Amino acid sequence: MNNRIIKLSLCLILILSSVAVFAKGKQITCSGSTTVLPVAQATAEAFMDANPEINISVRGGGSGVGVAALQNKTVDIANSSRPMKSKEISQCKSKGINPTAYSIANDGISMVVHKNNGIKNLSVAQIRDIYTGKVKNWKDLGGANMPIVVISRDVASGTYEVFNEKALSGAKVDPSAQLLASNNAVVSSVSTTPGAIGYAGLGYVNESVRVVTVNGIMPNEVTVKDSSYPLSRKLYMYTNGKASGDVARYISFIQSNAGQEIVKKQGFISLN
Amino acid sequence: MTSKSLLTLTICVGMLLLPILSSALETKLSGEFWGRWINETAQKKDASGAYTDKVISNYLSLERGYFGLETKFSESTKARFTIDIFTTDKTHEYQASTINDSTQTTLPIEPATLTTTTKTGSLDGAGLKIKYAYVDFGKLIPVPDMVLSAGMQKVYFGTIYDWNYTLIGKAPTDEYKVANSADLGVTLNGFLPQGYGEYALGVYNGEGYKKVASSLKENTDFAYLANLRLTPIPGITVGGSYMMNTVGRSEALDGGVKNASYEEQNLMDGVVRLAYGPVDVWGEYISKAVKYPNETSSSKTKEYTATGLSIFPIISLKEFLPYDIQLVGRYDTWDESDRIAADKSRSSLSAITMGANYNFLHDEAANPNMQLQLNYTTKKYDEAKSHSDFADGKKDTSQINLQLKWRFSSVIAN
Repeated sequence: MNNRIIKLSLCLILILSSVAVFAKGKQITCSGSTTVLPVAQATAEAFMDANPEINISVRGGGSGVGVAALQNKTVDIANSSRPMKSKEISQCKSKGINPTAYSIANDGISMVVHKNNGIKNLSVAQIRDIYTGKVKNWKDLGGANMPIVVISRDVASGTYEVFNEKALSGAKVDPSAQLLASNNAVVSSVSTTPGAIGYAGLGYVNESVRVVTVNGIMPNEVTVKDSSYPLSRKLYMYTNGKASGDVARYISFIQSNAGQEIVKKQGFISLN
Repeated sequence: MTSKSLLTLTICVGMLLLPILSSALETKLSGEFWGRWINETAQKKDASGAYTDKVISNYLSLERGYFGLETKFSESTKARFTIDIFTTDKTHEYQASTINDSTQTTLPIEPATLTTTTKTGSLDGAGLKIKYAYVDFGKLIPVPDMVLSAGMQKVYFGTIYDWNYTLIGKAPTDEYKVANSADLGVTLNGFLPQGYGEYALGVYNGEGYKKVASSLKENTDFAYLANLRLTPIPGITVGGSYMMNTVGRSEALDGGVKNASYEEQNLMDGVVRLAYGPVDVWGEYISKAVKYPNETSSSKTKEYTATGLSIFPIISLKEFLPYDIQLVGRYDTWDESDRIAADKSRSSLSAITMGANYNFLHDEAANPNMQLQLNYTTKKYDEAKSHSDFADGKKDTSQINLQLKWRFSSVIAN
């Protein structure tokens, strides 16, 4: 019995000695989608300028990472460039987390090619043929006799998941495709590869590449807002339950006119 | 199959898989290893028949190691392969020979002097099993979020399929030999819309993934499973599982003699989970009803029902501390005293576990790559309701476990 008491005491001492209470600083933490990252960073800076007592920490990692961090209760906000999946919602709810979505911007996944590529339009079917490896040369699409260099996002990316669903209908990307870890990397790679095609959120598109229309529709404020652009989507922030306190104020700020102006400056489409 | 031949087989399968993996969208390599110190004290009878505390075991072990490959062939087709490595192989059977020769000098041995028995233990100091080897087909059936899984996979029963070892110790259904954590089978599993829960329907071999030699299931009956978990509101989950299994052949292949030991098992499990803020409490009720339809006795004396209840609370302190610390507990009762008195498994016990986890070196999704676990468990057997040889004659036991668990994962995009 003495042996047991000694063991029990040892356990209790170790447990209690590790429980030293320290108060955590007051701050808002968010992580997740790399597409949402520039919007989150820019709005956080503006919000902190107006509210110096509040510190907002913004990290990337990808939509899946943000959702997992919300599940693990280590962030206040999960940034996501796609809606949460049933499995993720189920896992959250069973842990007592009620994921609540807030739309913060509109986006159109833009198809980009090298500036010297003569192709101006692609149908969704043609994009699917390119990305599944059925079409391998631009001449088969009315362009120059040049091999197509397919550039895609890594499969953990929310942008990839939306693109896979909306453009590829779930089909497998050809194994020869280059998978890159960020929107910036895709745009940069396409800009320096003459036969390349890639896709990225509107906010990442710049003059180094050319955007092609999809089904004859250019991604812009009108076509993304009315969803006529086939690859349009919303960007989200998820909180545990209805946002409250400083988190609610921050999200309200993003959704306000001032916040939506920042969204536009980052190259994305405002909500209204 | 010895560990060595299984390892060889694993390497061969891996070589064969390489060309397939090279055409995959991505491949995730993951591993998890548990180094443990175990110290167990139990009451054993001394020469006078009185119980005294004795240290039964005090050792270090690589209690578990998992190494896995998860391959994503397309958005809807994924495969998983995991091997289970452990240094304390108590389930490995081997044939032990004893020479019944008093002179011990004469060779070769005459057949009549050689006795062969089946023993359990480790042949070569380590065990190696295939834990998972299955493929998920996501869009084979046109139901949203429904997956058809085929191969060596999870058994969706009770808490065993999502037991993540927050406490050191097995899931209750695993601990009390009610269900196996993995088995060969085909399942339809998935999630209900809007996070309202999950479900699974499955057909399995019904023998688990560890059985070898004479413990392999000898009949041709499959096991059937149904599982449903509902989360009507966030933080409240209720669920139930049902599994029908059999053990042994109903009748001999030659002659058709009925086998009195043929078992029909009806296994039921109810799960409740309450999660609010830092507190997460699980409750599980288990019922195992076993019938012997070929038993000749009109009173059906061998039939029995075993029941158990487990409650395991987890309190996370990471919201209040600069460290990710969890306090954990568990209370179990298991009553198998309905078995006939001569059965060595006849028992009635209760167990309490208390402990703490220190999680550190988190990945970017805040999952800990390292976990230091300390558990103290005390287990009491009801002597009057248990067979005298149950648990190797140990009466009450206390055990202290200190475990360092480390995990890694890396995704290789093609």
